[in-house]
Amino acid sequence: MTTYKSDQFGDKQLGFALYLIGELIMFATLFATYFLFTPSAINPTPSETFELRTVIITSVCLLSSSATIHYAEKAFEKGKGKGVWIGLTSTLILATAFMGFEIHEFYKYASEGYTLTENLFLSSFYILVGLHAAHVLFGIGWMVLLCYQYPRIPTTSYGQKQKIFSYYWHFVDVIWVFIITFVYGPYLF
Amino acid sequence: MTFELFNRTFFIATDVLFAYIVLIGTGLGVLYLVNRANKWSVIKDYVTTTHHRKIGVLYLLSATLFFLRAGIEALIIRMQLSVPENDFWVFQGDKFNEAFTTHGTIMIFFVAMPLLIGLMNVAVPLQIGAQDMAFPYMNAISFWLFLAGAILVNMSFFMTASPNAGWTAYAPLSTAEFTPEAGNDYYIFGLQVSGVGTILAAINMIVTIVRHRAPGMKMTRMPLFAWSTLVTAFLILIAFPVLTIALYILMFDRLFGTSFFSGESGSPIYWQHLFWIFGHPEVYIIIIPAFGIFSDVISTFSKKRVFGYTSMVVAIVIIGLLGFMVWVHHMFTVGLGPVVNTVFAITTMLIAVPTGIKIFNWLFTMRKGVIRLGTPMLFAAGFIPTFVIGGVTGVMLAVAAADFQFHDTYFVVAHFHYTMVGGTVLGAFAGIYYWFPKMFGFKLKDGLGKAHFWLFLIGFHITFFPQHFAGLNGMPRRVYTYTAEDNIFIFNFISTIGAFMMGIGTLFFVLNIYKSFKDPDKCGNDPWDGRTLEWSVPSPAPEHPFDPMPQVNTVDPLWEAKRNRGGKLPVANTSRSAPIDVTSWQPVSFYGVIMLFSLSFIYHVTWLQIVSGVMVLAFFALRTLTDEHTRLAKEGENHDNV
Repeated sequence: MTTYKSDQFGDKQLGFALYLIGELIMFATLFATYFLFTPSAINPTPSETFELRTVIITSVCLLSSSATIHYAEKAFEKGKGKGVWIGLTSTLILATAFMGFEIHEFYKYASEGYTLTENLFLSSFYILVGLHAAHVLFGIGWMVLLCYQYPRIPTTSYGQKQKIFSYYWHFVDVIWVFIITFVYGPYLF
Repeated sequence: MTFELFNRTFFIATDVLFAYIVLIGTGLGVLYLVNRANKWSVIKDYVTTTHHRKIGVLYLLSATLFFLRAGIEALIIRMQLSVPENDFWVFQGDKFNEAFTTHGTIMIFFVAMPLLIGLMNVAVPLQIGAQDMAFPYMNAISFWLFLAGAILVNMSFFMTASPNAGWTAYAPLSTAEFTPEAGNDYYIFGLQVSGVGTILAAINMIVTIVRHRAPGMKMTRMPLFAWSTLVTAFLILIAFPVLTIALYILMFDRLFGTSFFSGESGSPIYWQHLFWIFGHPEVYIIIIPAFGIFSDVISTFSKKRVFGYTSMVVAIVIIGLLGFMVWVHHMFTVGLGPVVNTVFAITTMLIAVPTGIKIFNWLFTMRKGVIRLGTPMLFAAGFIPTFVIGGVTGVMLAVAAADFQFHDTYFVVAHFHYTMVGGTVLGAFAGIYYWFPKMFGFKLKDGLGKAHFWLFLIGFHITFFPQHFAGLNGMPRRVYTYTAEDNIFIFNFISTIGAFMMGIGTLFFVLNIYKSFKDPDKCGNDPWDGRTLEWSVPSPAPEHPFDPMPQVNTVDPLWEAKRNRGGKLPVANTSRSAPIDVTSWQPVSFYGVIMLFSLSFIYHVTWLQIVSGVMVLAFFALRTLTDEHTRLAKEGENHDNV
């Protein structure tokens, strides 16, 4: 029985890692698009669009959520049910906060006239950061399901699901680090 | 054609009307036959399956249907081009554009890909001693996503909105400004959806090959088809995400008003780069598995171990790597500069080296072998000279300076048909004849198979060889007519005759399938005196075929066992656990939901986009709440409590 579980779980780990490689290439292509079209010949420029405050807040939310999901994982390994709850729900809260600020950011830009079709810098910004935000949103749904399943399914099954989710979440975080570095960074710092 | 209904005048193109009649007629006919033969349980069995052999059969079946459709388009194209200034039916101007666009798109994405992925599904797990693909459920999802994409592109014709910007969908033609109709939206969503399915299939293949090999089946002992599948899967994993994003961006251009690929600041060249960074690996994705099939077939039918096994593997890997470094050879005339063109010309020519190694290895495998010319071997033997011609014209095209003459002429058309039909399609036919017994327990008829082979191969050369000359005489591709003074009539006329010969050859293939089912020649588990593991298991391959699990000690383990152990494979002491097969309606329902989702975007129905989008997401939740691993773990736990 134990071999069965580790065999199947190993398949999933490898499969998911491969999936993330595919995702990485997708994001890499979008970064390339952003580099190609930014700054654009037509205004607005990135420096007049971006706003440091929201970027810092969203970054704090998302980057710390990588730590909290890691905490949940460690707690699961030590068999501390409470720790899992704390880790998972705080990750969920941070992710939701991130989404809130991100929507706020997009809304603010749009209300200032910086919309998707304004110029190619904004287009490539929105399709890249927007796809990342969609990943966060998907992750939120995933976490809600994990919360639902935790008390209902066998512990080992839950542990595997949570581990795969944490791979996903760290990946989303790494992409965000790239976004700070290459999308916002050159024009804010 | 116009007609009156309810005092209103409607217009419908006669070709579409005709297609509706044919489709509805055959559809009703098939329904009637299925009902009469009482085969609904078989259909249910296949629709709900997650078993690798059945999914492979589904891939092959749908690919064959799409092959017929895109083949008819090829015949229509050839009819229109048979004589100068021809007016065949309605296929001039935009209708002609639609015909070659869907011909190309369907042949590449919905014929070549599924033929090969189908054969991989059938053969690879059995070749390496796996009980099934690593993720059977995801395998079914892959198939249904592929089918959803394929149906989307196919149905566009019936909605009188075929894509019409070529299979490469070059911008700015493919943007909403120039092709505002729904056609290229069908293209985007069809390719996007099936592309996701293909990426998942590639992940499945890699995990299966890396983690599910039989004990002792080292990587260096794998059959070459398994090796080529592994390399192909990595190419898919790296190349297809680029297509995903290219289509994603094009979707924004078409549906949401951005202008990445057109307008003053947009860059049409960027589309070309993205498309070919995907597109060149793509053509290796569809040729490398064919190489693997030929290696296995030639080795089996020559009764010899494949010559230069290691160099064969190294050659595949090098071709795979070089495949990412040559995309600009599709863009020599864009004007990227002599340095860029030179670099890419050299990398392109380099590919001839590993490919040449493979050709020589196949020839040396046959040398002094005990050659039997069964149908699969015929296709393999026909492939070698055909593909060499395609390779030679490939090197010619790689000469950047000369390419300024060849570019976008029928010379290119001839070249890529020599590689894709001569390589991929012949390879797929060889594979189908070769592994058919493993799918159904009986062989395809040899006599009809030979008729199919000769008609198809000779027809092929008659069709495409003259096109080289038409191209050299200056005939551009994608034009719907030419004048008598262009000096290309005779080449086109011969080409049309050849195309019909290929068509008749294909009909022999279909007839062969029909006859073989009608009057099956049961042929046992090992009809070809095989060398690899798949011929040691029952035909058709059952679930959990390897019982007991064999221990592999060499390349061609079954052959070794036949020579030294009276055909008995040594039994392994331990083996890893098998993947869990389930039957489920979920994958096919997902197909329905994803179709709805795509159509809501193609036709801009906002409320349906939201509803079906939520349904798509709900499927992820449904899956995670009902997955078989958790269910089994739960049952195990309850069991322990009792």
